[in-house]
Amino acid sequence: MTAIIGSLSLLGALLVSGLAIVACVRGRHGAHRGWIRIAHAAPVGLFVLVSFAVAALEVALVRSDFSIRYVANNMNLVTPLLFRVAGLWGALEGSILLWQWILALFTLIIALRYRSRYPEVMPYVLSVLLAISAFFLLLMAGPADPFVRLQEAPVDGRGLNPLLQNHLLMIIHPPLLYLGYVGFSVPFAFAMGSLLSGHLRDEWIVVTRRSSLLAWTFLTAGLFLGARWSYDVLGWGGYWGWDPVENAAFMPWLTATALIHSTMVQARRGLLRVWSLALVILTFLLTIFGTFLTRSGVLASVHSFTQSLIGPLFLAFLAVALLVSLGALAVRLSAWRDDGAIDSWLSREAMMVLNNVVLLAMTFTVFLGTVFPLAVEALSGEKVSVGSPFFNQMFVPLGSLLLLLMGVGTIFRWKQSGPEEFARLIWLALAAAVAAVTLLLAGMQKPLVSLGIGITIFMASAQLVEYARGVRARRAATGETFLPALAGLISSNRQRYGGYLTHLGLAFAVVGIIASMSHRMEVELALTAGERVEISGYTIRYDGLIPGRAPDRLVVAAHLSVWPSTGQAMAGSQTDAPPPAVLTPSLNFFPQDRAPVATPAVRSSWRADLYLVLMGVEAGGRRVILKAIVNPLVSWIWTGGVIMVTAGVVALWPTVRGAARGP
Amino acid sequence: MVRRVLLACLLVAAAAGSVTAQDLDAQAQAIASRLRCPVCQNESVADSPSELSAQMRALIRVKLRAGERPEQIMAYFVAKYGEWILLEPPRRGLLWLVWLGPVFALGAGSLFAFRFLRAVVRPADPAGSRRYGAR
Repeated sequence: MTAIIGSLSLLGALLVSGLAIVACVRGRHGAHRGWIRIAHAAPVGLFVLVSFAVAALEVALVRSDFSIRYVANNMNLVTPLLFRVAGLWGALEGSILLWQWILALFTLIIALRYRSRYPEVMPYVLSVLLAISAFFLLLMAGPADPFVRLQEAPVDGRGLNPLLQNHLLMIIHPPLLYLGYVGFSVPFAFAMGSLLSGHLRDEWIVVTRRSSLLAWTFLTAGLFLGARWSYDVLGWGGYWGWDPVENAAFMPWLTATALIHSTMVQARRGLLRVWSLALVILTFLLTIFGTFLTRSGVLASVHSFTQSLIGPLFLAFLAVALLVSLGALAVRLSAWRDDGAIDSWLSREAMMVLNNVVLLAMTFTVFLGTVFPLAVEALSGEKVSVGSPFFNQMFVPLGSLLLLLMGVGTIFRWKQSGPEEFARLIWLALAAAVAAVTLLLAGMQKPLVSLGIGITIFMASAQLVEYARGVRARRAATGETFLPALAGLISSNRQRYGGYLTHLGLAFAVVGIIASMSHRMEVELALTAGERVEISGYTIRYDGLIPGRAPDRLVVAAHLSVWPSTGQAMAGSQTDAPPPAVLTPSLNFFPQDRAPVATPAVRSSWRADLYLVLMGVEAGGRRVILKAIVNPLVSWIWTGGVIMVTAGVVALWPTVRGAARGP
Repeated sequence: MVRRVLLACLLVAAAAGSVTAQDLDAQAQAIASRLRCPVCQNESVADSPSELSAQMRALIRVKLRAGERPEQIMAYFVAKYGEWILLEPPRRGLLWLVWLGPVFALGAGSLFAFRFLRAVVRPADPAGSRRYGAR
């Protein structure tokens, strides 16, 4: 019954979006009130119908309705409730449905907010959004149907992928990422709307600035949470592996970051108009491409992706979207030529043009590295790998360049920089150089690492100086104390100070990435009960196994006491030793998988993480094999992520209050 | 200065032929992180928890202890599994494309940007002394 409701809702939604596209096209000149009324009502119907389908699938997941294939493949009788709900995005068909649901929600919001404000553009905007909907609904009507029924319902299902069921981040990471992904459909639709209609040449930027920033903030949160999930679950002590799935989300983030900067130049100087449009289109295409890459099976093998219609359909959709958007862009190219100018090379806007170059070169590098093995295999049958060593070698110079530009661009002022800015530039560069040399003298053995940290310090201090200058000026003007002046400063120009704050967050993350990549220490240990071992600043003692049982799994955890190695704990006088921290890395045995899933245990401080993974148990639990990793400054990465997302929210805040200009 | 001292220390250590356990660990780790785990999705031998990767790590140590150089060990694995095992594509033939692509992109982008900037930069005041009240 639920399956029938779900299938019918999706079919209904497909019909509604098809009909609404026709209505948009027929009513686009405003002559036919009836068509326009249909077009404006359609998003409501679409959202309601897709919500029915989501509700139907959720009911089936929660109730273990194994007559539906998706439920049987991804749930079992002991899956905990939270993971049943999250099962909606646990596999292909469900996540396409989630995508469509979010898109329907955004379409509804846009239709309600803007239908009377931009009557000449809205039919185009809505038809673009509805066409994207139609594509995803078509996928679900065919090869990605979440409601396929089984002839005979199995007694128990296969269960969720244990890696997904092993961490609560699974519940929020994918929806956030999808909110980011799908969010870029809105600026894309407005860009296409203004291109196709010829209206809103400059206004679309203002209209979509907030929606771009909102999508960027969600995507940033999604990326950092994905990295955190990888760190907490996968047990390799890393957070970013340049996996195609990660790259797929990183590419639109890079182009969206470029977009946020290029629209600032456009808004102030009337430049980069067509470029910004191209970036919006590119960002959207990359979100679709990323979904294609991760969902079509093309990664497993180039030749397997034609086994399902999903891959070819995605490629066809990409091709159509590319042709339509490039065609529209070409038509307006001459009329929408830039008419602005820049006063000086030594200005913030010139630096933003250059940062766009670096961000796009980064995007191209990720794209090339991700697609290259597929292209080589498709063309020659040869298999090559392009993995982290390649990406790291490319991103060290590109990233350094970007950080330098961020620092210089922040110090430079709009229009034209003067002697004051150059003096500041020299002082900050000197300070950063001193910091880098100090690190070298303090015993850092890798000059390249000190250089990288020096560049990051340069970039970060440029942001801090901007804050300091603003606060000082405000205090001089209003006589406020420091904190009220800071708060007043931020709220006086949220976008600008939110931007500096994001840069600062990135600096934190970069320092964490540099430190943890260059000074990570990893050992494998075999410990018998009662035995202590000392590794790089920690003393670890194995106390014994703690078996446990949860409804969905068996757990075998090692009880380990950990002391920092500096105190008396090392000398052996246990009475004086501070109480140890207890870490319990475990092995989890899920019924759905024969191999156990290792859950690492982490003791985190601002200086370093001690990351312990239980690799195996020997001699009836008297001996354990552990992987111990000491990872410096990893917590800085998470701090940086929190700062970046907070900065996005700061910049968005006025809209949240409802006093907004744009979506 | 510090670098020179460090370099001297390294040379002395090498000359003495004393490969410490930590050096071996670091070398083994460096090799393993450049090899792809043959049975995983997208993990290096260093990071993978799989049985095969563990055996490969052990083999790398054995070979290092026996005095083989890192290049010899990499070559051994390439002979056994093919070039696919290298996480870093070899720099030869058409594979140069992947190495030069990013350089080309940055170069072409920069050229484009410089031409664009040269076209749009029109100093508002030739003396460049005019200050704007943008902030």
